[in-house]
Amino acid sequence: MTIAAALLLVLVFGLVVFDWFSLRGKNRRAILLELFVFLAGAAFIAFPERATSLAHLVGIGRGVDFLLYPTVIWLVRESLLSRRRRVEDQERLTHVVRALAIARAEEIPPR
Amino acid sequence: MGDPISAIATTKASDAVSRRDASMTRVAILMPARDESALAATLAQIRDRARELGGVTVFLVDDGSERPIDARDLPATIADFRVVLARHVVNLGQGAALETARELALAPGAQFRAYVTMDADGQHGVDGALAVCGAIDDGANVAFGNRFLGASNVPRGRRAVLALARWFDRLVTGLRLADAHNGLRAFDRQALELVRIRQNRMAHATEIKMHVARAHGLRVVEVPVSVRYTRESLAKGQKNAGAALILRDLMMQYLFGDST
Repeated sequence: MTIAAALLLVLVFGLVVFDWFSLRGKNRRAILLELFVFLAGAAFIAFPERATSLAHLVGIGRGVDFLLYPTVIWLVRESLLSRRRRVEDQERLTHVVRALAIARAEEIPPR
Repeated sequence: MGDPISAIATTKASDAVSRRDASMTRVAILMPARDESALAATLAQIRDRARELGGVTVFLVDDGSERPIDARDLPATIADFRVVLARHVVNLGQGAALETARELALAPGAQFRAYVTMDADGQHGVDGALAVCGAIDDGANVAFGNRFLGASNVPRGRRAVLALARWFDRLVTGLRLADAHNGLRAFDRQALELVRIRQNRMAHATEIKMHVARAHGLRVVEVPVSVRYTRESLAKGQKNAGAALILRDLMMQYLFGDST
């Protein structure tokens, strides 16, 4: 195992442990999903030749590319969806704040 | 699109009041404000010259000031000078506050001969409001202030940024305006109804022009106005670096603007 692979494994398990304890029992199912994905990632880090043979099976040259291509596509999509959700949330917040402001608007009486 | 913009001279308000519709003499001023120390002074100037405008109703929107605007700190209202105060419970941005003021001013039953957007920090004077109102009285649907034709003390750095903004706005709106982001503008009711602002922050200036350009047939003019830059307005107002944020906001609206 290379030094880089060892460091990546430490990072992966460190993140899982941190999330497990920092969330203190909340979102257990999400943590289990994270654990599953990270374990799969750890397996490819520890045994990179497995990723390469899988890549060859589908006509991709390197194992890292086999993992990178879908990951980048997924991240770009996730980024766009998340920005769209932010825009929608901002519009909802604006709508609520404005409705409240208009409902409470008052003319200042003469003094 | 052709070049519908023509600079026109400032109109005397006394001539202007009765030109369009004698039954609608009042002017609505849409004014966003957030922690503005010059607010009371700005409103006092408007009150002192409200009669020249034919009577004024200021739709003042406090956009989540840390110290909420207290009506007792504002100049006393009189028949010619009324103030409607609304508050955003959190800060949304100048564009959002303008839209709130727009919706208040367009409420059924309220009729004004012109609707003026104006900053609360003292940069825009009553003379400028009179000038843009005069253009509406002369038959324009939309009047944009042009600070470069007036006696404005525009800092050199701001001039450079505004030149770039002018080029960008011409590209995206097709309107050939000499002053890209002047907050002093006037609309008649027909035009203001078409200008629904969805840009909460500073990109609303470009968005307003997009609405105006899309609504073919509006008569659009540019009017000389003076914009007074003070140390406070430069420190608190729109920063030159804000241009990047405006581009980001416009891109977000372009991508997701029809999502809701």
